[in-house]
Amino acid sequence: MREKSNPIGNIYISPRAIATIAYYSALETYGLVGLAAKNLAADLANVLVKDPNLGVDVDFKGGSVNVDLYIIVEYGTRITSVAASVAASVRYQIEKATGLPVGDVNVHVRGLRISNPD
Amino acid sequence: MNEELQKPHQPTDTPLDVLDGQGLRDLVEAAMVWLKTNQQTVNALNVFPVPDGDTGTNMLLTMQAAYQEIANSTEKNIGKIAHAIAQGALMGARGNSGVILSQLWRGFARALDNLDTMDTETFVKALNEAKNTAYKGVVRPVEGTILTVAKDIAAASEQVLGNAHDLKTALEVVVKAADESVKFTPELLPVLKQAGVVDAGGKGLFFLFEGMLRRLDDLPLENPVTSVQPLSAMNLAETMETIEPGQDYEVVVDFQPSQSLDLEKFYNDLSQMGTSIQVGEGDGMYRMHIHVPTENRYAPIDYTMKIGTITKVSIENLIAQMEQIESRQETQINFNPVEPGQIAVVAVSPGLGISKIFASLGVAAIVSGGQTMNPSTEEILHAFENLPTDKIIILPNNKNIIMASQATESMTVKNVRVVPSTSVPQGLSAMLRLNPEGDFDKIVLEMNEALTEVETGEITVATRSVEINGVHVNEGEVIALHNGKLVDSTDTLEKACLNLLEKAGTEERERITLFYGNNITKNQVNEIVNSIRSKYPNHEIELHEGGQPHYQFILAIE
Repeated sequence: MREKSNPIGNIYISPRAIATIAYYSALETYGLVGLAAKNLAADLANVLVKDPNLGVDVDFKGGSVNVDLYIIVEYGTRITSVAASVAASVRYQIEKATGLPVGDVNVHVRGLRISNPD
Repeated sequence: MNEELQKPHQPTDTPLDVLDGQGLRDLVEAAMVWLKTNQQTVNALNVFPVPDGDTGTNMLLTMQAAYQEIANSTEKNIGKIAHAIAQGALMGARGNSGVILSQLWRGFARALDNLDTMDTETFVKALNEAKNTAYKGVVRPVEGTILTVAKDIAAASEQVLGNAHDLKTALEVVVKAADESVKFTPELLPVLKQAGVVDAGGKGLFFLFEGMLRRLDDLPLENPVTSVQPLSAMNLAETMETIEPGQDYEVVVDFQPSQSLDLEKFYNDLSQMGTSIQVGEGDGMYRMHIHVPTENRYAPIDYTMKIGTITKVSIENLIAQMEQIESRQETQINFNPVEPGQIAVVAVSPGLGISKIFASLGVAAIVSGGQTMNPSTEEILHAFENLPTDKIIILPNNKNIIMASQATESMTVKNVRVVPSTSVPQGLSAMLRLNPEGDFDKIVLEMNEALTEVETGEITVATRSVEINGVHVNEGEVIALHNGKLVDSTDTLEKACLNLLEKAGTEERERITLFYGNNITKNQVNEIVNSIRSKYPNHEIELHEGGQPHYQFILAIE
């Protein structure tokens, strides 16, 4: 739980809530065609329950929010640019929605999807 | 690039039935130059997905990389040229809009595969293929963006099919469709509407096609176009923000042309004199707006006199006005209003950023001052004399100002208490205890207690060589002061900060707040904060622009 205090009490924002913000802003980013489970166990679990935080890991170390994203990119796009856009967008949306400082946004490209072989 | 532009172009009235590789190369160059001309316009629109004002730049860099691939090519086959462009765009794709643009080129090129030339039908097909390819690259296409504009262009282009239209007509349809689509983007994407802008990427795409059309029409590409707008829509206030060096005067002329105005010529002539040209029209009256260098300030008037009757002229010195606007904006601090009978706090602050923080904590008045710029007793007195209350607390925030603050006690009928804060962090810490409705004596007591709860650090550069507290300091070295005492002298700001934090017992504390001064760059600040972060990963670290002189950093450790 991450807390922010205000004059009348505390606000707790859970990693899951932040992961959901990250998940949706990532999905709207151009060039990203999906998020991937970070390991087999998570992948199997996802078959049973559709997780709106799939492929997103959030932790609070060092006084800021750190995010890891496991993504699938459209084949034929410039992967580094797509990854940079995803990171920028996720960072911005989390900071905008929660006001919490975002430390690292690490983007792990887990695969490519080929819809147009050239 | 300029030489390229001088070479003869396609004559305007010959139908352009097919385009070969060189023709496409020519158009892509025009598109790139036109986007470059309008780069800042596009940047200024950028609010989505991240409002970082780089859409125009990213698209331009992508286009430049694309053009680089074909700049010196003599290839006639359009399929090969288009593939080279797509390849270049892919390699150079920057940012969200750049990636989308590269995908549009990729689809466009695919439709031209193995073709020597492009006719209208292939052009339409290529636009549709571009749109399809681009839409495949995203899970949730956000409408109201460059994607929507690409889609609308593709749809609109189909109307020219089967009517034996030439490519130029098709391009005219595309530019018109792009323009309309861009104007509609705020209806699709609420963020745009809130910000009162159209989509930046979409606008960039519009400029690319418009640049191509301008090349076919033999119109100049280096100057932003002026369109005649209704007089009421001329936004002259905003043009003040786009001052260029050397453009010192703003000239506005109202006139009635003696014969119908040749806008293109009028604009071109004006652009020899200055920048930020706008022309407005209403009821046969025209208004012309331009920024010109000092020596040219009468030229637009002389020129306008030749083409019509001048009814009104105004000339303003922009530089002087800009300075006024800036100083007004920058120094604006919003104080909490003080109600009669409440406790009001007057704080002495060394910098604008710090003043704003004090104001946000509820300070009623600020007196500028600090190290080497101590305010007088008079100044402090003036700050609170007109406040509608007699309970006044003064936070001197510097040990050299405590005396001057206390001296005001005997100069007013108001009940003045000085809480002897010797640093900004102490002052801020005390402010947190303020309750304007509270018991005066109790609040003063609490504020005094709060002074000891914070450790103050100050980082500055030594102005002379000296030895204090057993620390030897050479002139030019960075020195660290802990609660006003010299504790370290070293060669870099970073080391000074880290050593200071260590000496101040930061390990035992929870929060570090840094106020950076006006003598340090944001990059330096970020580097130092990063290294503090990695050394104290579990501390809460806050960074504020203090704006104070002399001290690179003022630190509060709580």
